[in-house]
This record gives sequence, structure tokens and C-alpha cells, in this order.
Amino acid sequence: MLKYIFLRFLAMIPTLAIASVLIYTIVELPPGDFFESYVAELEASGETIDPKKIEYLRVEYGFDKPVWQRYFTWVWGMFHGDFGYSFEYERPVSELIGSRLFLTMLLSFVTIIFTWVIAFPIGIYSATHKYSMGDYGFTFLGLLGLATPNFLLALIMMYFAKVWFGTSIGGLMDPKYINEPMSLAKFGSIMEHMVIPVIVIGTAGTAAMIRRIRANLLDELKKQYVITARAKGVPPVKAVLKYPFRMSLNFFIADIGSILPAIVSGAEVVAIVLSLETTGPLLISALQSQDMYLAGTFLMFLAVLTVIGVLISDIALAILDPRIRLQGKAHK
Amino acid sequence: MSERLPEQPLVVNFEANGRSIGRYCCSMEMLMGKAKDIRMMTVYGYARLVGFDEKFALKPDILESFEVEEGRIFTLRLRKGHKWSDGHPFTAEDFRYYWDDVVNNEELTRAGLPQVLLSNGKPPTFEVIDDHTIRYTWEEPNPAFPLGLAYPRATYIYKPAHFMKQFHPTYSDRGEVEKKAEELGYRNWAAMHTGLGRQYRPENPEMPTLQPWHNTTAGPSKRMVFQRNPYYHRVDPDGQQLPYIDEVVLLMGSTDIVPAKTGAGESDLQARYLRFDNFTFLKEGEGKQGYRVLPWRAGIASQISLYPNLNYKDEAWRDLFQNRDFRRALSIGVNRNELNEQLFFGMAKPGADTVLEASPLYKESLGTSWVQHDTELANRMLDDLGLNKKNAEGTRLLPDGRPMEIIIESAGESTEQTDALELIRYHWDELGIRIFTRSLQRDIHRRRFLTGETMMTVSKGLNIGLATPDLNPEELAPVSPAQPNWPVWGQYTQTGGKAGEPPSLPSVKRLLELYNAWRASTNDAQREAIWSEMLEIYSEEVFSIGTTREVIQPVVINSKLQNVPETGIYSWAPSSFFGVYRPDTFWFAE
Repeated sequence: MLKYIFLRFLAMIPTLAIASVLIYTIVELPPGDFFESYVAELEASGETIDPKKIEYLRVEYGFDKPVWQRYFTWVWGMFHGDFGYSFEYERPVSELIGSRLFLTMLLSFVTIIFTWVIAFPIGIYSATHKYSMGDYGFTFLGLLGLATPNFLLALIMMYFAKVWFGTSIGGLMDPKYINEPMSLAKFGSIMEHMVIPVIVIGTAGTAAMIRRIRANLLDELKKQYVITARAKGVPPVKAVLKYPFRMSLNFFIADIGSILPAIVSGAEVVAIVLSLETTGPLLISALQSQDMYLAGTFLMFLAVLTVIGVLISDIALAILDPRIRLQGKAHK
Repeated sequence: MSERLPEQPLVVNFEANGRSIGRYCCSMEMLMGKAKDIRMMTVYGYARLVGFDEKFALKPDILESFEVEEGRIFTLRLRKGHKWSDGHPFTAEDFRYYWDDVVNNEELTRAGLPQVLLSNGKPPTFEVIDDHTIRYTWEEPNPAFPLGLAYPRATYIYKPAHFMKQFHPTYSDRGEVEKKAEELGYRNWAAMHTGLGRQYRPENPEMPTLQPWHNTTAGPSKRMVFQRNPYYHRVDPDGQQLPYIDEVVLLMGSTDIVPAKTGAGESDLQARYLRFDNFTFLKEGEGKQGYRVLPWRAGIASQISLYPNLNYKDEAWRDLFQNRDFRRALSIGVNRNELNEQLFFGMAKPGADTVLEASPLYKESLGTSWVQHDTELANRMLDDLGLNKKNAEGTRLLPDGRPMEIIIESAGESTEQTDALELIRYHWDELGIRIFTRSLQRDIHRRRFLTGETMMTVSKGLNIGLATPDLNPEELAPVSPAQPNWPVWGQYTQTGGKAGEPPSLPSVKRLLELYNAWRASTNDAQREAIWSEMLEIYSEEVFSIGTTREVIQPVVINSKLQNVPETGIYSWAPSSFFGVYRPDTFWFAE
């Protein structure tokens, strides 16, 4: 097992190296650079800027050097904890991402818990009461949540939250708490503002979760051992939860790998609509304005999390399900 | 209080525009977008060495007086006893420091002098006459100099020397300064000096300022708080020091929800990120949510303009675009009244892409030049150009037999533009010309018209709808590769002939000559004559096809906010958005 983990670790290095090259290429691909889009944006609102200043900035940030040289500077910096510089915010990238990470994780964490709390009971109910009114009803509701465009739902809910409860529009807390230290009132305000994004993002994921739990559990419930258990008089709830349900969780464990990156960059569109201070909008605007080090570092960060997440789910699966082999050969 | 004011404070004229004497209190909240929107505080605050007043005349503001001889010798006198926001005297030393230690320091300013400090490429001689008087002398006239000081994004020719010296190796130990730069995460001392000494983007709360409010928040924050500057140099007629409002708070957030938040009464003064299409929604909440909507007017010369690319790569089309009669025919083929009715409920005005009526340079003939809707005449003009052959669908043919199909590109900034093109499509169908539209990303679009791949662009008209002779007429001449009607010629001017091509049309050459003449002008009469001729040429030649103008710009204010004009012109230059309307005199009633 330890040897296996070590080998997996070694495999991560080339994976991430390739990812970093790809990311840098993609961020470099759009024609022009940050300064060009910056000038264009200023001009669109009638502002003017001395072209000399732009030339100076270009040289200042090393844009006169060839691409490969800039790539290596960036990668080399990352090893030393220097993630480059954001042109848009004119400060180091590490400062920017850090401040938003906490709120993003909090939001994603609550959303995931919310999804599970709703999806698990419904999924189990749907599997055990296949084709009943309840099954259809819940499935219909879930699919409705999946089908409603998130941003629209967010806008509608934001409006009613303002009209009925006086919640300030957008953001993750009331503006007056923004620079305050954490207090009970501030936490309350965060919780109040979190309701809408959690429901909006949560409902979108619930339907898929319900269907997957239902399908996996149905496969399991047909198996011999379950029928035997039921025949021997094991209480129905126990008969479902003790083994079949656990066995049907394989897919769920395999999903952990993708949950980790989703925790730090979930639901960008909703975050933009609701003007949340999370990492999603930061990444999108960085890509739009070609703030390449901010965008590149962020994507790299997600790549690292994905690789780690996959490793975690592999290990978890190996522990959970003895049928899964570490080596690809069958044991007699 | 007299301790905190200069000996001769600037008394703001309240009578001229019916302002009322206010009271000190309150916090004013405004909604902003990205972190860099902090610059709007400098734009709205609008304390400048010389600045525009509400009549758009240049007047000394921070300076007590400003004398010009022969258009090339500028003597600036400071107010005695004027202090920075930290209480340190503001003197000629601050100008000397900028001149000697910032802009002429090789390490700090590698780009050389800013443009406004150069006349015909040559620097001035700088003299300190005494503690409160400085002089800049150029060999040739430099009308861009006062303008550069008065612009919303002003060129700062002074820095708080007493504060900046601690970051400068000439005045502090180099090793110490370099160490400090490293601690703060700057590449070197020069980057630190620049980063901590920004005046247009007042991000450093330690940095003293002369603006009405100074920043107290070390960013980046979603909530930037600006406090009153206790040493501000303006007073009201009763001698009370301005500004009235204690603090201004900028709330940073997504720009898309600014209209919704404003409609919920969450802003005390808002025009940024509000557009005409939010007007009805905002009106709905008026009163109920404790705010009022003021119908200001946009200061651009035309809300939607079409720019034929005179440098388009296809020769047959290029010849047509460069032909005055063709541009005129296209212009009178547009039914502007219909655009106005459909897009702006008839609340805007049809007109050409030229100065607005509020500008002292406005003439009736400019605004109405080639804007009548006359399909018959347009068709006759097109026939006379030898475009009288048509195919089976009724599309005119170019002399070489290709159908006349124009692709109009936009930077996808507003739905207004795409809606307008839908209507213009029908107008030009009657001329036998078909149009197709493309939305592109802004940078890509700019790149395309510069390489001659764009036939025609739809965009905003001239920014300077409120032109005065003092302003730079650069938008009317080919000076920049960002101009969609003659990017290649503009590039030639900007790069001094290193790239692009010189203009080949006599009228465009004339515009460039006039622009150069403005830059060498010494008095207002000359400048006025130059402006008039340039506007005349621009309108007669229809270098951009203007459509509708003076579109309503909603300005939402808290119902208690006083001294905000009921109508105003909302523009970058010369009014600096709210700047010339003096937000330091706004106040909250009980």
C-alpha cells in the first residue's frame, strides 16, 4: 500500500509539469496582453493614458522577454512560494487568492453538505420505492432544480430576499461588516447571505446525486445476499443500510477527486450573478483581462487539487472495497 | 480652523448655480466594480492645480494663480499656508522633488517625461522662484500642459516630498531602502517608490493627498473608506471648510448587480454602471426606496456611431470608403428618428457625430450635417458613383461585379449597438446595400481593424461632446491606432512614422495639420479657429456616421443629498463625471 502511494506521488510530478505547460500556453494564447486589454477598456469609457506609460509597464513586467523565459520564471517562482504578480490588482497573487479562499471553502462545504443531506434520503427512498408516486415526485422536483438556469434562480431569489427579509443584494455579508473582525453578528450576516447561493448551487447538483444513488442502490438490492437477508427476517431498514447502501457508495468515493477542486472553484456563474467574494469571479475576470499570472496560478492550484483529490479517492476506494486491486493483475 | 486652511482658500461660488450652504455630517456610499475603481475618488474629488469649472473654463484651483506668457512660459503660484492632508506644508519643494528626483531619475522613470511636459519633443527648463512660485519654460508653445493638469486623469507634477523621501536612496540610506522594498515584496526601491506613491489610484492610506477625501483603507477590500481631508483648500461662501460629507465609502462588487442594488436604495450617489435601459426600473423604485433619479445627459457626441474603415484592405471597398459621397449617402440612408423612437423612446436627439449643443463650439450646421433621412437622394448619389448595377435580389454590385455586402463589427459592449444595427439593416436595404454584423472581443476587434480586416465598426461616437477650445482636438485627427476609421494613419502619427502609413486623403492631411497647429497654438482665438475648422471638416466629410445623442444617463441620488444639479452632462472630459459639479459641496439634509 505504501509503495503504491509512493509510486502515485512520483506519477504526479510529470502530470503537473505537463499541466503547467498547458496552462501557460492557454493563458498566453489570446492575442495581445494585459496592457492592451487595459488600454482598450479605458478607452471604452473615454479615459486616455500615455502610451509611454504602457510601454514602460510592459518592460517592467518582463513582457519584452520571450515566452519560454517567462514560463520558467513563473514555474521557478512557484517553487519559492512566489506566484507572480497580478497587474489588475497590482499586488502579489498569493495575497489575492488567500483572502478569498476561506469564504469559498465555507460556501462550498455548506453546499456539499446540503446536497448530501437532501440527496441521500431521497435517493434511498427512490430506490426502495421504485416507480412509486414518491419516486416520480422527488425525481421531478430534482430534475426541476437541475433544469432551472442557476443564474435566473439566483436573481429571482435575491429579489425576494430583499423584498421579504431585507437582505442586502449580493455579496456574502452586509456591507457594514466587510472590514470588521469576525463577530457573532458578522457570522450571522454571512449565514443569512449564504442561504441563496447554497440553495441555488445545491439544487443543481442534487438531481444528479439522487439518480446516481438510486441506480447504484437498485443494482445492489437485486443481489442474492440482500434477498437472503430479507428472507431471514432482517428489518428492512437495516437490510438496506448495512451492506447494499455501503456497496453502492463506490461511485461516491470516486467522486471525491472532483469534489476537492470544486470546493475552491465551484459555481462561477452564480458567484458572479450574486457578486460573491469567492474565487470564481476572480478567476473569470483574470481570464477576461488577461491578468495571466493570477489566472495561471489559479488554474495550477486547481490542477494540484485535482491530482491530490484523485489520489485520495483511490486510496479511499482501496480501503472501502476489497474487490478493487492495486495492481492490474487478477489474484487467483 | 484657520490653522488648517491656506491664507487664501478657494471660495467656491454658490450663487452661480443655486447651491445651498450645507452642514457637516454623514457617510456617502457609492457602488463600484473592480479594485482599480478606487481611481474614481480622484476623478470625482477633482482637486487639480488648474481645473475646469461648470462653464468648462480653465481656472486655478489648488494654485492661487497660473500665468502664461507666449503660450510657453508657465508660472505657477501656490497658496501660502496650504498643507497636505497630514498637515505638512505643500510648497515648491514638492514640485522640485518630482522634477529632480522622480521624473528625471533614471531608475525611477525609464520612460522619460510624460507627454504633456514635452513640447515638440523637448523638455522645459524648471525653476523654483521662491517657496510658493515655480516656473516651466519651453522653447515652443505647449497648450497641452495646462490641459494635462486639469484632466480627470491628471499628470501629477508634484509629489509629497516629505513623505516620499523615506523611500528614495538620494535622501535615505540605499541599503535600508532596498531592504524595505524587499520586506514589502517589491522588486526594487523604484517599484516601491512608484507603488506607495500613487496619486491617481490612492491605494496607500499613508500617502498624503490634496483631494477632498483621503483613503483610510489598506486594500484590497470590498469596502474602501475615505475620510475628510482636514487641510482641504476650498471653503463655502460662509467660510466653512469643505467637504461637507464626513466620509465616502466605496463598495466594490460585481458591476452587473449595480442597477439592482441601486434600485434597492443601496447607493447614495450612482451613475457609474447605470445605463439608459435601467432608467424605467430605477424610476419604479424612486421615492419608495429613498432615492431620486436625475435625468443627466451622456456627454459623448453620438451614442452609436458607424465608422467606415478608410484603411480597409480590399481596394475596391477602400476607394469607396475614402469617397466622401459614398459616406454621405450611407449617412442619409439611416433613419435616425426611428432609431431614437425604438431605442430611446424618443428621449434622445438625432444628430451627427459632433459637439453637443452645450459646447461653446456648437453650430447648427455641424449637428445637422448629412443627417436628414433621404433614401431617394442617397440612391441617386450611389448611382452617380457608378454603383448602378444590381443583382436579382436588388443588391447593388461593385464595379468588379461583387455584391455590396458590408460586415459591421462591434466590440460587443452593449445591446444598444446590435439593436441599432438591426434597424439600420432595413434602412440600407433600401439603398441596395446588405449588412452583416459580428460581435468580437474588444482586443481582437482592435487588432482586426488595425490590420485592415474590419470593413466597418459600430461603436460610441466622439468622447468630447463637450469640447472647448482648451481641449485637445486629437479625436478629430488620425493620431492613434485605436481609431476605427483610420487606424493605420493614426498608428503612423503615434509611432512617429515607424509603423503604419501617412494619410493620403487631403482632408485627413488637413486635420492632422490643424491638430499640430493646435499643439503649437498660443492663445484661445487661434485654438477656437482650429477647432471650428476641424469640426467643420469632420462633419462635412462624415468620417463617422453619428446617429443619436444626448441619451439620458440616469444619476441616482439619496433623496436627502443636496447640491447635486438636476441636469448635468455626464462625461469623462472635461466634466470628470461628477468632478466639475463639485461633490465636496454635496451634503445630506436632516
